[in-house]
Parts: sequence; structure tokens; C-alpha cells
Amino acid sequence: MTTDAPSLNATNGAVLRVAIAYLVVGLGTVAVMGLLGVLMRLDHAGMLLVSPDWFYRIMTLHGSGMITGLLFASFGGLAAVISAEVHLSSRALWIGLVLYLTAMMLVVLAIVFGRFAAGWTVLDPLPYQGKTWTESAGVVAYAGYLVTGLAIVVVCGAMLRGTTAARGGLRRALAWEVLFHPKRPSPDVTHPPVLIATVTAIVGLVMVVVGLVYLVPLFLEAAGLVRHVDALFSKNAVLLFGHTMANLCVYVAAGMVYGTLPRYAHRPWKTTWPVAAAWNAIILLIFFPWSHHLYQDFAQPLGLQILGNLGSFAGGFPSFIVTIVGALALVYGAGLEWSPTSILMLLGIWGWAFGGAGALLDAIVPINQVMHNTMWVAAHFHTYNMVGVAAFAWAYLYHITAELSHARERRLDRWAAWLYGIGAVGMVALLFFEGAHSVPRRYATHDAEWQGYARAAIPFVAMMVIALGWLGGEMLARVGPAWRRTRIGPL
Amino acid sequence: MKHVNPSGVNPLSVFWVLLGLGVAWTALWGWVLLHAGPGPSYETTAPTVHRVRRVLFVLFLVIFGAVFAVSLRAYPYFQFRSRSLGAPVATVDVQASQWNWTLSQTDVPARVPVEFAVTSQDVNHGFAIYAPDGRLLTQVQAMPGYTNRLLYRFAQPGAYTIRCLEYCGVFHHIMLATLTVR
Repeated sequence: MTTDAPSLNATNGAVLRVAIAYLVVGLGTVAVMGLLGVLMRLDHAGMLLVSPDWFYRIMTLHGSGMITGLLFASFGGLAAVISAEVHLSSRALWIGLVLYLTAMMLVVLAIVFGRFAAGWTVLDPLPYQGKTWTESAGVVAYAGYLVTGLAIVVVCGAMLRGTTAARGGLRRALAWEVLFHPKRPSPDVTHPPVLIATVTAIVGLVMVVVGLVYLVPLFLEAAGLVRHVDALFSKNAVLLFGHTMANLCVYVAAGMVYGTLPRYAHRPWKTTWPVAAAWNAIILLIFFPWSHHLYQDFAQPLGLQILGNLGSFAGGFPSFIVTIVGALALVYGAGLEWSPTSILMLLGIWGWAFGGAGALLDAIVPINQVMHNTMWVAAHFHTYNMVGVAAFAWAYLYHITAELSHARERRLDRWAAWLYGIGAVGMVALLFFEGAHSVPRRYATHDAEWQGYARAAIPFVAMMVIALGWLGGEMLARVGPAWRRTRIGPL
Repeated sequence: MKHVNPSGVNPLSVFWVLLGLGVAWTALWGWVLLHAGPGPSYETTAPTVHRVRRVLFVLFLVIFGAVFAVSLRAYPYFQFRSRSLGAPVATVDVQASQWNWTLSQTDVPARVPVEFAVTSQDVNHGFAIYAPDGRLLTQVQAMPGYTNRLLYRFAQPGAYTIRCLEYCGVFHHIMLATLTVR
């Protein structure tokens, strides 16, 4: 049965190579940042002594490395998925990768040599007033963020240009004919991954503009041209940027699922009216929930607090009702081909929904009053990032390297995929439990009565390390042959 | 006697709610995976999926709407809490700075509304009051250039801990103070 999604064999090798580079660099970064996360949890468990200075520097690196690693790995995966039907500029994608690496280097420089430790959320005015680092270190870190924004502009620009050119305009790329004329069937409808690439590219470009609204006044402040930037304004701007970026990761990663899961379910995932409506709605809905980060800023206008609550709830509609239910409907009765790819993608679906539920509970103002900045927050974003986005990206890297290298799956691979799921779920469940006991997040040392949670998580973390060690080794061994395969003429 | 915040939210109860949702979701997810073998065609199940989506849409609207409406009554903002707790009997001026809390008074009365007028001299901080049993009771951000007014009524006397809950630099975790409720 056709799956509608063109296979990798029809795609051009140049884009696949840069896509593999994004996946390997992005997920390699995620793996290293994960090990830094282990160090922080061992510190929380009281089993390793990390100085506060280093703890917060590691925390800053962990957060900024993870979010960008996941985003760029997902960009690479989505580029590979759509490259069969959309001409993407491999040159632009390489430039995007170089910019991303440059940005990462700037942030690492600020952290390692400048002792910068303001957290990945870089909440003004802390980056310039850290006391243990200089304002210059803050400027270098912000410069890293600026270059990250440039990288996103280049990648999203290339995606948007490619999808609109391939579909003959923005309206068709956004599947508006399905949205506005659902009863007039069209034989040539934009496939979901192309629709998602278009949507996420638009979101990415707007998000960077928001990032500039945050960064430009701060650069002017550092240059002495502005006396000070209003703290409430900058908090709104940085969280509108940061929250959107975190959400963008999962939406870009979902594009890989739409493009890949049908291959294992042997069924097409079509652009039906709900799919078109959901993804078009995301262009707007993604920009509403940011204010839930500011519930405890009582100076924030009440209307924005309510918008934060309702906006967070609204985001659950397209994600759960359309994509998550759609994924389950796709595999039900499908004769699903079980493989590490399909297992990890379905685990990712589980994590997206469960992490989303944790987030929606925290988006209720009175609950947030007793959960904000406790480990609950860390729990929910680790759930949909680690069990959701990362699982989608690992799944896709496994898929693309296996398909291109023609490597055979090893029996242990599936067990490793399930082990990853069990380890990740156990780890995040303990984080939620910790948050429910009011343990603060972003603390360099944990009181003795809190250390038991991190200690209990050790077996689960060990499962993840073993699983990813195995799967990562398998994938790495296939990268070389897969890369060479893309060079052998038309695939 | 348990320490309960004015909104009546017990964080542990929220965890059990999430766990319940998680169990239900895992059961559904697992059931689908168990039925992922060859079965009815997608065309056969599609009408059911459409119905499920419509039902979920309405269900989400109703649940989210109801939760939002109920939650409004427990908003922590001054204008909401002053309606349920009454006007403040005592006011504590709180100034945060890296990495200290300066309180105009560290003794406050129990069982009456107390106002905390919270601001910051430098970066963002989080003014969080922890009960003697270690549970987070209430919080508000301390932001430079703004004064946030937090109203709270302590149910019983004791030594309460003030913690910083907004990351503010390398000694963030030891930015503590004690508030005595008599």
C-alpha cells in the first residue's frame, strides 16, 4: 500500500548529507548535554560535589545546548523528510549549520572562559549583573543567541522558500485549499511534512523577530546608548522568544513523525481538514501561552495572565486531538512494522501527551502558584523534550542511517529503544514527584531531605545511558556508509 | 494541622491527578499498540476517529472552560485575595538583592491577612514562603522597578522559610530568610 510519503531513495544526496550532519551534531550535543545533566543530578543526590560556580555554568550550557541541539537536529530531520518533494538549498542549510556551530562556540566561550552562568533563559538583567562574571561575558552569550537567531532565519528561510516554490505559493504550501474548500477534493494536496515545514518556518522567522526585540535594547544598553531596559518588558520578550522556541522543537520534530511513521504503518497520513486546520492554527496559537511564565509577576496585566492560561489550553487542541490522536489512529490495525524507529516515535507520542498534561496543569494559575520554579517545571519540559522531541529525533536518525546504509536491525536495538522509554519515564516521574514536594529547581545543592529523589532516579538514568550508548553506537557505525550512499549519483 | 495555601491547592494532589491522567493515557496508548497488528482498514476506522476527535474537542472545551472558571476564584493576585482574606492587618516591605532578603519586619501575626510588598534592587528574584513542614505555600516575583503585593494569611504560628525561587546567580540556593509567625 502506498504511504504517499516519497521514500528517501528519490531524494537528492546533497540535502541528505547536510541533514545527517544536523542530526549528528544536534543529537551529539544532546548526548553530551545529557551527561552534564547526569552530573547535576549526581550533585543533587549528594554523591558528587560540584561547586555552585560550575553547577550554574553547567546548567546554563545544558539548557542552551539541549534546546538548540534538539531544534537543529529536528530541522535536519525535517529537511531530509521533505527533500524528496521540495528543492532545498543545501548551501543555505550548510550556512545555517556553520552559524549554529558559531553560536554554540560563543556561548561555550562565555561559559568556560567568561564564567557566564545566567541560565539558558538569560533573564535580563542577570546576564549583565551576575557578579561572578563580567558584562562582557553577558554580551558574548547574547551574541551567541543573536547568531543562533541568524541560523534559524537561514534555515527557516530556506525551508519556506523551498516549500512555497514546490507548492506554487504560500496558500498551497499551507494547504488552504483543504482548509477552505474541504468538499472540493484536490488530487494534489500538500503532504503534512511540507505543511509542517511551512508552518514552523513562519513561526521560526517571527520568533527571531521577537528575539531581536529582546536583544537589541540590551546590546544598546551594553553600548551605553540606553540607560536601562524595563525588566517586565524584557521578561515578556525573552519568554515569548524562549517558550516559542521550546514549542517549536516539538512541532518541527512532529514533521519527522508525519513523514516517517506512515512508512512503518504502511498507510498514508493525509492532509485532511483537521490536519490542515490544526497546523494553520499553530501559527497563531504558539504565540499565546508565553505569559504563563509570568503568573507570579503580579505587575503583569491581568488580561495577559488570562491569555497565558487560555492560550496554553488552546495549544492542547491541535497537538492532542489532531496529531497525537492521528498517530494512534494511523497505527491502529495497521500491521505496524516494529522497529526502533516506530518504537521511539510512539514513545515520543506518549511523552508529548504526558509532558503536555503536566504543562497544562502548571498553566492553571492557582496550581502554578505552588509549582512555579519547582522541579515540576523541569519535569514537564524534560518529559516532552526527552521522551518526546529527542525520541522523535533519535528515531529519525536511526531510520535515515538504516535506510541509506541498508544496515540490518539487530535484535537488541528494539530492546534498547524500550529501555530508553522506561528509563526516561522513570526519571521524569521522579522529577514530577520532587516538584510536588516543593523542591526548587535550579538549586546547586539540595538539602539532605531532597536528595532521595535524585538517588532514586539513578537506575532510570543508567537505563537511558545504556540504551542510548547502544543505539548511538549502532547509528554512529552507520553514518559513514549512509553518507557515502548519498554520493552515489541519484539514489 | 496541615499548611494549606489560600487557593487550597495541595501540590501532592496535583501529582496524583497527573498520575491518574498518565495511567489512563498509558492504558489507551498501550491498547492501541496492542492492536497495531493487521486489523481493520483505515477507511473502516476513520469515521470513528472523526467522532473521537469531535467528542474530544467538546470535552476539552468543557473541561478547560470549567477549570478556568473555577481557578479564577483562587487567583493569587492582590485584588482576588483581598476579597477572600480581607484587608491586610500588617505590611512587610521586602527587598531582594543578590543574595539577601531585607524585610521591614520578621515577625508577623498568625490568622490575619499580611501584605508583603516585594521588590528587587538588582535582578529578578522569587519570594517564596515555605511552611515549617517544607511545603511551598505562596510566592511572588521580586522584580527591579516594580513592587508586587502579595497577600497571605498564616494558619498557624511557626518558623517559616523564605527561599529565592527565581535563579539570580551563584548563591541563589542559599538566599534564605526566616519569618516568624506568632
